[in-house]
Amino acid sequence: MTTTLPSPEEIHDRTRTVLATRIGDAFTDVPSDAELQTALGERYDSLTAMECISAIESEFGIEVDFVADDVRFWFSSVERMVRFTHERLEDTAALGLGS
Amino acid sequence: MTATVTTTAPRAPQGRGVSGGEPDLWCTYAAVRTLGWLDRADTITDPDGTAAYLSGRRNADGGYAWSRGMLSDAWATFYCTQALRDMGRPVPGTEATAGWLERTWSGDAYAMLPGQAPDVWATHFSARTAVELCGGPVPDRARLLDWLSRLQCAEGGLSWSPEDARRGKADVRACYYGVMAWRAATDNGASGAPPWDVEALADWLRDRQGEEGGFRFAPAAEVPCLWATYRAVGALAALGRAPRDPGGCQEWVMRRRGPSGAFVRWAGYDVEDVWASFCAVGTLKALGAPLAPVADAVTSRIAELGCPGGGYTYREPRVAADALSTAAAVLAAGPAAPRPDEVRWLEGCQLPNEGGVMYMPGRGSEVRCTLWALAAGAFAEDRAARHRIADWLAGLQNADGGFGYWEGRGSDLVSTAAAVETAALLGGPDGLGLDLAGVLAFVDSCRTAEGEPFAHGNVPGAEPGLRPALQAQRVRLLLGPGLAPSDEAREAVGVLLARHRVRGGGYAGEGNRVPDLLSTYEAVLAADRAGLALDTAHVLAFTDRVRGADGTAWSPLAPGGGGPLADCLGTLLARRLAADPGALPALALS
Repeated sequence: MTTTLPSPEEIHDRTRTVLATRIGDAFTDVPSDAELQTALGERYDSLTAMECISAIESEFGIEVDFVADDVRFWFSSVERMVRFTHERLEDTAALGLGS
Repeated sequence: MTATVTTTAPRAPQGRGVSGGEPDLWCTYAAVRTLGWLDRADTITDPDGTAAYLSGRRNADGGYAWSRGMLSDAWATFYCTQALRDMGRPVPGTEATAGWLERTWSGDAYAMLPGQAPDVWATHFSARTAVELCGGPVPDRARLLDWLSRLQCAEGGLSWSPEDARRGKADVRACYYGVMAWRAATDNGASGAPPWDVEALADWLRDRQGEEGGFRFAPAAEVPCLWATYRAVGALAALGRAPRDPGGCQEWVMRRRGPSGAFVRWAGYDVEDVWASFCAVGTLKALGAPLAPVADAVTSRIAELGCPGGGYTYREPRVAADALSTAAAVLAAGPAAPRPDEVRWLEGCQLPNEGGVMYMPGRGSEVRCTLWALAAGAFAEDRAARHRIADWLAGLQNADGGFGYWEGRGSDLVSTAAAVETAALLGGPDGLGLDLAGVLAFVDSCRTAEGEPFAHGNVPGAEPGLRPALQAQRVRLLLGPGLAPSDEAREAVGVLLARHRVRGGGYAGEGNRVPDLLSTYEAVLAADRAGLALDTAHVLAFTDRVRGADGTAWSPLAPGGGGPLADCLGTLLARRLAADPGALPALALS
């Protein structure tokens, strides 16, 4: 069985939608390459980051390891989240773990 | 050896403390309130930054926390919202705040946290927040007045709780908080008379005034201070009464002015801190004395206490040291690099009137700070000072057997575990006159009745978590097999560690997904205490993730270094992983 992976563009759009729901209007004008903590200040603290990671896990059916994965790096900007998610989906598909 | 006469002298601590240079909530409230009383609110340092500092403590549940990410409590909720209001800033979402307050209502009065026993500190804060900020009545005025009525001791003064009143523990602070809660709940008395023998209460308060003019907290307090004076005079004024010698009181207050013209807390003290000016101006206001003669000096002094980015601390930010940061520096340096100047500063945080160590000098003794200071080696050879701590600790135990953060606060597991650990460092819990069966009863009351085995919350009825559950087992192990079977405690630690073990490394406070520093530290500490083998590589994977060039982070998600306390815990953990079991001091924050 072949699993069709979402394209990076689709992951990007779905990620932005997920973050907009969690963070609110303040996220709308934040560029995808911007450091979220710098752009949003205390609005993107560790609690919010945790909520965003959980939402992305749920959206794409992936699992983040909070110790093995460098979450502080990979979840610091939208672009990095997209790369992380895309690679995780590819790894999952290659290992035949996708549902 | 440091002699007691030095450590208890009413001067500011000598030696060298460690300051994070950051704003503090109580200090920020006191500064904003004082400037408001002086009609100088336009001089608030960085008003936008200060307002952001206050509003940033709001949690999604509508309450406010002492620091971002912590649980909401009544104290922080009152200080944040009142200070925002004093600044003329909007207070967001007061309906949600009212909803959070209702969760702290016990049926009779307010608690500091949902599920905790009510005390007069929390009841004062939350009655005023409910009425003055949220615009509603208290949930049940008749029951609140009945609860307040039961705070009166036989001698006339008010205590922290009805149980403490039966034990005769009256204090002018409890009088003030009780009176102000009554006033808030009854629209300044329009809908309910004071529920006490007011003459007996007023006489008890008046009797706290000494011949020199200032007031003491209670008959046993060593020196009169501005904090006690403000609370006594404020309570009397709210009851329509005056001190026995108002002129003497005013003169005593005015004699507490330091070199800048702002105030110091008692005769001989040498730092003009924010609380002294807050209490002095509050006293003068309550006495109906003119504020203009002190307004310029106090305003100038408060301007020196503003922190970069907003908010205030108790003195100049560069030197506004605190006991936790200072103890952390000593502990992180380790025995190979002794820091005697810092230890001396910690010993100076044992000041008159309360025998424990104060978080910031002049603020009030706190259990956790006392434990951290002792763990850092303070008072190691000062038997008299250790005796003062032991006496203070014994007097702090609540009727439910537990301990709160400081005098009069409702019990919680963090403070109870810290108190028992403190007693152990002073020579053993059973030699200090503590009610050990009472301690165990409180710990048992925090056990979650339903759900997973050995689950405990920080207070009765709170959500369970790893840290309170392990703290409960540490207490049981310290109490010994005569009170609590050690085998059962060891089994519980093993079960709890397995439940909250994060696959990649470390331990999670809730569930088993996101590890954090406090939970992992507590896990290693409890494992060592229980004699359980530690998977060193598993914990190392966590410490390697959170420790970096910019310090130790509180969790893999937290940005950058977490400051001196996180650095201390990270360093001690790393040291423990390279050494034998038993090397970790029993430090806890939450």
